[in-house]
Amino acid sequence: MSEPILSTNGLTVRFGGITALDRVDIGIRPGEIVGLLGPNGAGKTTLFNAISGFIKPDSGRVVLDGQEVQTMFPYERVTLGLGRTFQHQRLFRGLTVEDNLRVAQHRHLKAGPIAAMLRLPSWRRDEAEARALVEQMLDVVNLRPWRTRFPWELSYGTLRFLELASVLSLRPSVLLLDEPATGIQQKEVEALGPMLKRIRDETGCAIFLIEHDMGLLFGVSERVYALDFGKIIAEGTADEVAADPRVLESYLGRTRREGAASA
Amino acid sequence: MKSLVAPAETAVAEAAPPPKSLSMRMPRLKRAQVLAGVAFLALGFLPLAFGSFGLYIAAYVAVWAMLELSIVVVTGYAGMISLMPFTFVGIGACTTGVAVAVWGWPFWLAVPLAALATVPVSVMVGAASVRLKGLYLAIATLTFGNALGETLFKWDDFTGGQAGHVMERPKLGALSFSGDFAFYVLSIATALLMVWAVHGLKNSRAGRAMLAVRDNEREAQALGINATKAKLTALVVGGMIAGVGGAFYLALLETVARSGFQSPYVELTSLLLVVWAVIGGIDSAFGAFLGAIALITQTVVFQGAERVFAYVGVYAAFVLIIFLLLRPGGIVQVVKIQAERIRENPSRAIPASIIGFGIQVAIIVVILVYGAE
Repeated sequence: MSEPILSTNGLTVRFGGITALDRVDIGIRPGEIVGLLGPNGAGKTTLFNAISGFIKPDSGRVVLDGQEVQTMFPYERVTLGLGRTFQHQRLFRGLTVEDNLRVAQHRHLKAGPIAAMLRLPSWRRDEAEARALVEQMLDVVNLRPWRTRFPWELSYGTLRFLELASVLSLRPSVLLLDEPATGIQQKEVEALGPMLKRIRDETGCAIFLIEHDMGLLFGVSERVYALDFGKIIAEGTADEVAADPRVLESYLGRTRREGAASA
Repeated sequence: MKSLVAPAETAVAEAAPPPKSLSMRMPRLKRAQVLAGVAFLALGFLPLAFGSFGLYIAAYVAVWAMLELSIVVVTGYAGMISLMPFTFVGIGACTTGVAVAVWGWPFWLAVPLAALATVPVSVMVGAASVRLKGLYLAIATLTFGNALGETLFKWDDFTGGQAGHVMERPKLGALSFSGDFAFYVLSIATALLMVWAVHGLKNSRAGRAMLAVRDNEREAQALGINATKAKLTALVVGGMIAGVGGAFYLALLETVARSGFQSPYVELTSLLLVVWAVIGGIDSAFGAFLGAIALITQTVVFQGAERVFAYVGVYAAFVLIIFLLLRPGGIVQVVKIQAERIRENPSRAIPASIIGFGIQVAIIVVILVYGAE
């Protein structure tokens, strides 16, 4: 077994008196597709936020590519190879589809403001490189006809694919996807599973995925973690987790204990 | 990664793609650009026809375009509402005054110094912008500009006293820019160079980081952008542009009284700058130029009137509201829409250019009628 590219160790997040994440230990190996399962309020998005740096954990560690990152800013974690999408997509309204894809290449470009203002060769090289990747990404998600359009001119499903292309432009080694299938049509959901596998196969990046569509989650994940009340309650292959009595209990009803996490 | 195309095809099939052939459009666009360039050059010589006054007003427009450009970077690109742009202009003007009139530096060395002198103030605003957003940052900058007016601009050595430093227009070897035409050419060339530079910034790593932070700071961070750095870069670049503008402001007027950088004038001028930047097209470098033309037109019209700021304020507010309601992208948006319509239907080019020409003539007539008195 290779070393995990991303792992958490005793990760704990509290909001006031509520423990949203309680000593969470996970490990994602390079090139692995891992699902994260759990009812609403289990702390799934909180876990993503803590890993990507949008929430500061109260204790515990986040290790990304061999480096402890729990005190780093979100953008610093991105430069180490972490990419994420948000549950409620947040693209840049004022930028065209093309420019949305260019923004995402920030970490791979170099030219500073002076070089750009004077059109120096380093700026030219930057823009040529950016243009090439934009072309590639437009093909990947088939958004070529919309290249000069703005996000608000696109359908919800198309936006989801733009968002995916944007985060892929980071060329991440770990990709956190927060409910990528939410709000898109069923036939698009069906296309998403094979697409995620191809992304993994061709870029070699690991994918950690939150998804409420069980078909997609179990179909695509090689391993699944189940989270409830901020704790990992089960871990294993899709079949193992699906059959786990604690997972069934957390989904099929029971009265919620006090101190339930709300994330 | 091309093999990823297949599954996504179904995903995006529901909306019809806009049928636009890029290869068809390119040559026509180029021709339009050439025509626009020629028209622009011809327009550049127009002030000559009105002699000394025309050239002075044209130089005035060029200098104010530089001032507007600083707002394009700070507010248009990075989305920070700074209500102290004219304070930066003051720092540039006074630094140039000290360097040229007191230390005897050549103007050309004073310009970069004027740009650098703004950096400490930009960094202070940057420190505030980490914590303060939107309206709160606007109020903080307003009071900060006021505070500098009561401190920095009360320092006689810096401002040259109540009357201000007196500086002659610059010379370059045997070439003197003291004549109206020479100074006009110098200032318009500098302003256009700065428009070109600021436009280039927009299509770059640094500029896109600013636009991303303006649109969505959280998502920008998730894409590896250091939001604080992007804002600070915008403030420093914007401040330096205003500093250079300040140097030319002093060169244009030859002396600048410090009261212009003190309350209440500094707030009023800063607000007018921001308002006309919005009317011109806040996130467009070319819009800064259009905004400056409109601003100078109104200044000339209301010049010398009693309670000039009252007239100017009401007029600017009226124009601003109309634009925000109908064309929030400013004059640049109007121009773009017209260009798009002409591209769709070339026969519209004639009425559009007649109207465009008419507006230009109207501006000139207004300036001559009101200004020549």
